[in-house]
Amino acid sequence: MSGARKSGDMNGVIWVDEMDTSSSDWAGPKMAKLGELGRLGLAVPDGFALTTDAYHEVLGSRPVRREIDRLLASAVADDSASVTRAARLVRHYVLGLGVPAGIEHGIVEAYNELCLRRDQPNLATAVRSSATGEDAADASFAGQFDSYLGVTGPESVVEAVRSCWASLFTDRGVAYRMERGISHVDCPMAVGVLELIDAKASGIAFSIHPVTGRSDRIVMEGSWGWGEAIVQGLVVPDRAEVGKSDRRILDYVVSAKLVMSAFDQTAGAVVETGVPESLRQARVLRDDEVLAIADSVISIESHFGHPVDVEWVASASQDGQPEVTIVQARPETVHAGEEKPEPAWDPSSYALKYAFGTKPKK
Amino acid sequence: MTENQIPSEYCLEEFYPGFSPHDMDSAYKCDRLDTFKPDDGDLFWPLDFHYPRGFVPLGFLVVADGPCWGLQIAADNVPLPTSRGIKARMVGTHLYATEIPVTDPWEIESRAVAAGEHIPAFLETFPETWTKRVRELETWLHHLEGSEPSGSLADIGNYFEKSVRLIRRAWEIHFEMMYPLVANYVGFYGLCEELNIDPSQIGRFLQGYDTKIMETDRQLWGLTRRVRELGLEDLFSVTSPDRIAPELEVAGPDATQFLSELREFLDVYGRRSEGIIDLASAPWIEDPASPLGSIKTFLLMDHDHDFEQAGREVVAEREEAIVSARSRLTAEELAQFDAALGACQHANFNWWNEEHNFYIDLRAHLPLRRAATALSEAVGADNPDDGLFLFGPEIRSVVAGDTKWSEMSSLVVERRDYYEDWKARRIDMPKMLGTTPEEVTDPVMKEVFGMGHHFFAALADPSSEILKGVPASAGSAEGPARVLFSPDDLHTVLPGEVLVCEATSPNWTPAFAKIAACDCDSGGTLTHASIVSREYRIPCVTGVAVATSRISTGDRILVNGSTGEVTLLDEID
Repeated sequence: MSGARKSGDMNGVIWVDEMDTSSSDWAGPKMAKLGELGRLGLAVPDGFALTTDAYHEVLGSRPVRREIDRLLASAVADDSASVTRAARLVRHYVLGLGVPAGIEHGIVEAYNELCLRRDQPNLATAVRSSATGEDAADASFAGQFDSYLGVTGPESVVEAVRSCWASLFTDRGVAYRMERGISHVDCPMAVGVLELIDAKASGIAFSIHPVTGRSDRIVMEGSWGWGEAIVQGLVVPDRAEVGKSDRRILDYVVSAKLVMSAFDQTAGAVVETGVPESLRQARVLRDDEVLAIADSVISIESHFGHPVDVEWVASASQDGQPEVTIVQARPETVHAGEEKPEPAWDPSSYALKYAFGTKPKK
Repeated sequence: MTENQIPSEYCLEEFYPGFSPHDMDSAYKCDRLDTFKPDDGDLFWPLDFHYPRGFVPLGFLVVADGPCWGLQIAADNVPLPTSRGIKARMVGTHLYATEIPVTDPWEIESRAVAAGEHIPAFLETFPETWTKRVRELETWLHHLEGSEPSGSLADIGNYFEKSVRLIRRAWEIHFEMMYPLVANYVGFYGLCEELNIDPSQIGRFLQGYDTKIMETDRQLWGLTRRVRELGLEDLFSVTSPDRIAPELEVAGPDATQFLSELREFLDVYGRRSEGIIDLASAPWIEDPASPLGSIKTFLLMDHDHDFEQAGREVVAEREEAIVSARSRLTAEELAQFDAALGACQHANFNWWNEEHNFYIDLRAHLPLRRAATALSEAVGADNPDDGLFLFGPEIRSVVAGDTKWSEMSSLVVERRDYYEDWKARRIDMPKMLGTTPEEVTDPVMKEVFGMGHHFFAALADPSSEILKGVPASAGSAEGPARVLFSPDDLHTVLPGEVLVCEATSPNWTPAFAKIAACDCDSGGTLTHASIVSREYRIPCVTGVAVATSRISTGDRILVNGSTGEVTLLDEID
C-alpha cells in the first residue's frame, strides 16, 4: 500500500493512470476503480484525484473541526428541520474556507499538466466527488455527492473541488453520520478531476437485468449528450439488451428523447437543452457501439467478479470504430449474490406450475 | 365469492316426461350425471357451450358414457393434482358443468408427483400413441360404419352395445390425450411469458399444421369451384340449403356429375354431425344440407379462399413469429425455448385439438344414432329418429323384448315437444349458476372453456364499453356484429361480419372464410375459435365472458386480437 501511495502522493494529487484498487483510501473507490479499469485496457478519462490527505488537511484541522462541530451541535437527529438548518450553515462555511496554498497550487499544477497531456489549453473537466465508503455495502450512501461537468480553467476547478467537499454536508449526509455517531473526519472524500469526454451519447449499463436479476444479459440505456439528463430521469433513453454469452443484440428500443445535457462552451458547464427535432426519434447507438459497451461491461464484471453497473460515454468516431469510454463502475447492489438456477425446460415442472397451479416437486 | 342459489326451477326433478334421472344406468368414475341438487350451489356451474342445442334423451347417454366418463377417468389417470375431472348437471335438455376439486393437501401433493412422472413420458411417445389410438378408433368406426344392423332386435341390441363401448373408448382416448397436451401447452405459454414473449404471438408458434378438419374445408371449397365450373351457381343461389340436393337430382347431367362428386366427398368427410356429440342432427352423409349451405354462402364471396396461399402464409407467419421471438432471447433462454417449442411441436395440442374432432367429437357417436334409427325402423316407429327419444335403459328394455314400442310411442311425441321447448329456452338460460369463484384449476376448464382470470374480471365489470378477453389471434378488424347462439343460423353470416358467439365447434369452421373477426364468451388460446382464426388469419378474442350479452347483431364492433380488446363502436338500439 505504501508503495502505491508514494508514487502518486505529490501535493495531495494522484493520477488516474497511477491508481489501482489499493489507491482507494486516498483516491476514493470511484476513482481508484477507474485507474483499475484503465489497467485492464479499457478507455477511461485521463485525470487526477485530489486525495483524502488534502481533505484531512483542509477539513480535518482542529479549528475547522471545532467550527463544524459547533455548527452541527444545534442539529437533532429526529428533527429534520434542525438538520437542514445546520447542514446549510456547514456548507456555507466549507464553501468559504480558504484552501491552503500548497493544495491550491497542487490542483492548479495538476490541471495545467492535464491540459498539456490532452493537448488542450483550458480543458473542460468533470469534477466528481469520490468519497471513501461510497461503494460500501450500504448502498443508500452511494451517489449522493455532487459532480460538476464542464468545469473549465484552474480557478473553476478549485471552486468545484470546494463544492464537492461541501456536498459531504447535505442533509442526508449529515443525518446519516449522526445516526451512526460518526464524524465527517471518519469518511474522508477524495475529488476526481477528469477530462470531460466529448459525448455524442452517454448512459448506463448493467451486467445483469436490473429488474429480474437475470444474469444472462447486458441491459443498457443511453441518450444524446452527457449523462446528467438520464441520471436525473429527465429523458426516456433508448434501451438495448445484449446476450452475454454470444454477444448478440436481443433488443433495441428507440424512445422519444426530448431533453439532453449539452456542453455550453461560453458558460463552461453542461446544461439541459432541448433535443433537435431530427434527433428525437433517431437511434442513439449503432450496433457496433452497443456491442463495444457490452464488451466493456463484460470485462469489468469478470474482472471484479460480481455484477456491476457502469456509466459510459460514446464519442463521435473518427475512424468508423466505436469509441466508448467508461466513466464510472459500481457493484450492482440489488440482485448481487442472488442464486439464479440455470434455465431449463422441464415439461412436468412447467405444467405443474402453470397448468395445475401446484409447485413442482424438486 | 358470490353466493348463488341454484334457481329452484332448475333443482326440480323436472325432466323428460316418463323418465327419472335416477334410472340412468351409465357408468361413472367419480360423479354421476344428474340433475341439480340444492347444495350444488356451492360450486361454479357454467352452461356448457359445447352443446347449444341440448340433448335428446339418448344424447344424455353419450354425455355420460362419453365426455363425463372420459374426463373423470383421465383426470385420475394423469392424474390432475387438483381436479378429478368435470361433472355435469342436466337442466331440461341442457347441461351445466363444473370441475370436481381435489382438496386434501396430501392427495394434491401425491397426485402432483404422479403427474410429474406421467407427463414427460406421455409427451415423449405422443405421436406413436396417437397413431395407435387412431388405428384403434378407425378399426371400430369402420366396423360399425360398414355394417348395418339387421332387423332383429337382438342384432340391434348388439350393435347398440358396441356403439356404447366405442363412445366410452373414444372419450377415454380423448382426455387421455387432451389433459397432458393442454398441460404441456399451458406450461409452454407460461415459459413464454417468463421470457417476455408477446402473448398474442405464442399461438402462432404452433399453427399451420394440416388437420383433417382443414382438409375437409379445403374439399368443400373444391366443391364450390366445381359448382361454378358446372354452371350451377343460380340453382344454389335461389334454393334453400335443405332443398339443394333434391333440386340437383332433377337438374340435368352437370348436376348429376356434381352429385357424384359430392357423394365421394361425403364418403370420406361426411361422417360428421353438425355439433359435438349431437345425436339429433343427421350426419352430412345422410343429410348434406349443411355442407351444401356452406357452399351456397361461399358462392356469395367474390373470390375463393385460396387454401394453398393461406396455408403458405400461415406457415410463413409461424416461422416469422418464431424467428422474431428467438432473436430477443439470450443463448441460455434459447436453449430453454427451443427445447420447449420442440416438445410442443412433437406433441402439438393446437394441431391435435382440431385433428381429433374428425375421429371423436363429430363422429364416434354416429353408430349409436344408427342403432337408434335401426330400432325405429325395426319397430315401425312413425319417424326414423324416434329411437333417439328413448333413454339407454329403455332401448335396452325394448331390444330385450321387455318393453313394447307401443308403450313408448306417445312418450316419444311428448319428449319431442319437451326437446323443442327447451331448445328455444336456452338463449334465456343463465350462462352460469352457483358460486362464482376467483379461479378454477382444471386446465380444460381454464384453457378450453377459457375461464382464466380475465373471464372472472369481465364478469365483475360487465358494463364497460371495452370488453377484455384473451388475445387469441393477432390483428385487428371491425365490422357489423352477427351474434349467434347456435350453428343452425350459421348460413345467415354475411361476408365481412364479426362473429360473436358463446364458442365455436368444428362445424362452425366454414364460416371463418367469410367473417372479418371472431369474438367469443368462452375459450382461451387453445379453443377451436382461436386455432381456426389463426389458420384463417383473422383477429380473434376469446374468453370475453359477456360478449353475447353485451353485443347485438348489427352493432359495429372492433376486435383487436393482439391486445384482447373488443370495442363497441356503435350500438344499434
